[in-house]
Amino acid sequence: MKNQQTIEKQAPVNGRVRVDWKEKGSEVVSRYGIFLIFLGMVALMSILTPHFFTYFNLINVVRQVSFIGIVAMGVTFVIITKGIDLSSGSVIALVSVMAASFAQGGHSLVVPILIGLGIGALTGLINGTIATKGMIPPFIATLGMMTAARGMALLYSNGRPIGNLTDSFLFMGSGDLLGLPFPIIMFLVMGLISHLLLNNTKFGKSTYAIGGNEQAARICGINVDRHLILVYTYAGFLTGIAALMLTARISAGQPSMGVMYELDAIAAAVIGGTSLTGGIGTIPGTMIGALIIGVLNNGLDLMNVSSYWQQILKGIIIVTAVLIDSRKNRKS
Amino acid sequence: MKCKKITGLLMALVVLFGALTGCASDGSNADRKVVVGAAMPVFDDKWLSYLYDAMKDGAKDKNVDLKMVDAKNDSSKQLSQVEKFATEGVDVIVVCPVDTAAVKPMVNVAKQANIPIVIVNRIPPKDVMKDVDSYVGSESIKGGIIQMEEVAKILNNKGNVAIMTGQLGHEAQVKRTVGNKEVIQKHPDMQIILEGTAKWQRAEGIQLMENWLQSGKKIDAVVANNDEMAIGAIKALKEAGKLDETVVAGVDGTPDALKYVKSGDLDVSVFQDPVGQGKGAIDTAVKLAKGEKLKDKMVWIPYELITKRNVQEFEERWDVYNKNKSN
Repeated sequence: MKNQQTIEKQAPVNGRVRVDWKEKGSEVVSRYGIFLIFLGMVALMSILTPHFFTYFNLINVVRQVSFIGIVAMGVTFVIITKGIDLSSGSVIALVSVMAASFAQGGHSLVVPILIGLGIGALTGLINGTIATKGMIPPFIATLGMMTAARGMALLYSNGRPIGNLTDSFLFMGSGDLLGLPFPIIMFLVMGLISHLLLNNTKFGKSTYAIGGNEQAARICGINVDRHLILVYTYAGFLTGIAALMLTARISAGQPSMGVMYELDAIAAAVIGGTSLTGGIGTIPGTMIGALIIGVLNNGLDLMNVSSYWQQILKGIIIVTAVLIDSRKNRKS
Repeated sequence: MKCKKITGLLMALVVLFGALTGCASDGSNADRKVVVGAAMPVFDDKWLSYLYDAMKDGAKDKNVDLKMVDAKNDSSKQLSQVEKFATEGVDVIVVCPVDTAAVKPMVNVAKQANIPIVIVNRIPPKDVMKDVDSYVGSESIKGGIIQMEEVAKILNNKGNVAIMTGQLGHEAQVKRTVGNKEVIQKHPDMQIILEGTAKWQRAEGIQLMENWLQSGKKIDAVVANNDEMAIGAIKALKEAGKLDETVVAGVDGTPDALKYVKSGDLDVSVFQDPVGQGKGAIDTAVKLAKGEKLKDKMVWIPYELITKRNVQEFEERWDVYNKNKSN
C-alpha cells in the first residue's frame, strides 16, 4: 500500500510535478487499498451475521489478533529487509514454558517478564547472527531455530504444560487497562512504537534501504550485518511479548503452543502490503492484515461455517485480498 | 584463538554425545534382552508423553531394550522408521500410527521380516487388523459415547450442544465426534448447534469459544474432543460469566484437567489410561517376543468416566504414577 511512497523515497527521479486528479484518486486507492478491503470485509460480515458488529465482538476480534499482530510487526521489519522469520511459533513455545516456570509464585513478576523478553530477543539475536555472519539464507537460519526452539521447549517442560501461574502474571492475558483488554493496549502501543521506529528513525530508513538494495546500502555506509542482527533481535523481542501475553491468556506455559503461528504472522504482513521481495511494507498495513485474518476467523465461526470449508475459504480470501491489492498497486 | 574456541566446542560436543550414547548402551553385555522397536507418532503431545513414559517404565521392569523413535506426525517417515527396525532385526515392532489408514505397508514390512507387530492406542481398519499380532488400546468411539451420555444425563436429555473437535482428520477427532453424534441422535430434544475445530489446543479453544459466545446462540453444553480445548472453553465461558449455565466436557483425564473437574469447572472428562496402554503394549510385546500365546489379540484398556464424584480416585492414580517415576 505504501508502494509508491517508498519507491519515490528511494528514487526521487523523474520529476513529476503536474497534479493529475485521476492519478491522485488512484493513488488514494492504492495507498489505502488494503484498508478499503478490510472495511469491505467488515461490512460484509456485518450484513451476513447480526452478531458481528457489536462492541463486545469487535473487542473480542482485536484481542484475538493482538498476539499474532505483535509478532507480525517484527516479521514486517524482517521481510522488509528481504529476510524471513520462520521461528516465531516455536519461540513462542520456548518463551512460554520458560517464563511460566518462573511465574508460579516465589518470584517477582519482573523475573518471568525479563526472562520472556530476554529469551525472545536472544533467539532473534542468534537468528540474525547466523544469517549474517554465517552467510546462511534467513529461511534456513530461522528454520533451524524453529526446530531447535520447539525441541528446547519440549525438553525444558518435559512435554507437559506448566500451570499454577500467579494472578499478577495472568493479568497480561486477561486483565483490563483503561477499559480495554491488556493485549489490545499492547497491540496498539507496540504498533505505534514499531511504526515510529520504521518511519521516523534512521533505523527504519536503513531497514528500507537494505531491503531495497543491500549493496547500495552497504556502499552508503550502513553496517548491514549489525543492522540485520538488530532487526531479527527486535522481531524476537516482539515475539517474546506476544508469548508472555499468550501464556497468561491460557494460564499455562505449553510446549505445543504457537504451531504455525509464524505463517499467520507472515500472512498478516503480506496481506498488509509487505512485499516478500523486500523494501516495501508498513506497520499499519500489517496491523490491518492481522485484523483481516481475525475478522475472517471470527465471522466464519459466528456463522458456524464447517471447519473444512473454513480452511478453503480462508485460503481463497487471503489470496484474493492480496491479489486485489497488488492489482491496484500495479495500475497506479 | 578462534581455532581454540572451535576445538573446545567440538570437544564439548563429543563429550555430550558420548554421555548420551553411553546411557543407551548400558548393560548391553547382560544376557540378551528383548529388543522392542517403538515407532511413535509425535513426541510433542502431552497425553502421549505419559504413554511413552509408561512404555519406558514397562521396559525397565521387564528388562527390555526399548528403541523409541519420533515420526513427527509424518506417516511416510514412520514407515521408513519401521523399515529400519525390520532391517535392524528387532524382536518386536510396536507402532502407534500417525495415520491409521497408513498402517498396512508397515504391517507388510513387519510380516516380510517375520517380526511380530503390535499396534497401540490408535486402531487400524479391520482388513489391516487381521495381519496385526495384537492391538493394545481403547476404542475412540467409546470415549465419545461415554462422554456424551454423561452430558445428556446432566442436561436431562435436552439442549443445545456445541462440539469442539481436534485436528481434523485425526482418528481420535473423527471417532470421538462420531461417538458424540451417535448419542445425540438417540435424543430428539438434543441438537448440535455449533461444530468447529480448535486443533487440540487450549489457546484455539479459548478463541473458538469466544467467537461462539458472540454468535447469539444458546449453548447448553460444550463437548470437546480433548481436555485442553475444554479448558480453553472454560476460560472463555468464565470471562463471559456463562460457565455456571454451561456444561463442559473433555476427554483424557490429564492431571491438569482433573484440577478443573475438582473445582467443578469441567463437568465431565473421560479417562484414557496411558499407563495401562503403555505397559500393556510392552507386556504384549514381550510375550510375543518369547513366543508365548496371547490370551486375546485385542487388549482393551477401557475408557473410564470422570466426574466430580470420582475425581479423587484418578488423582490418586496419577500421584502413584508420578511417585514411581521420580523414584
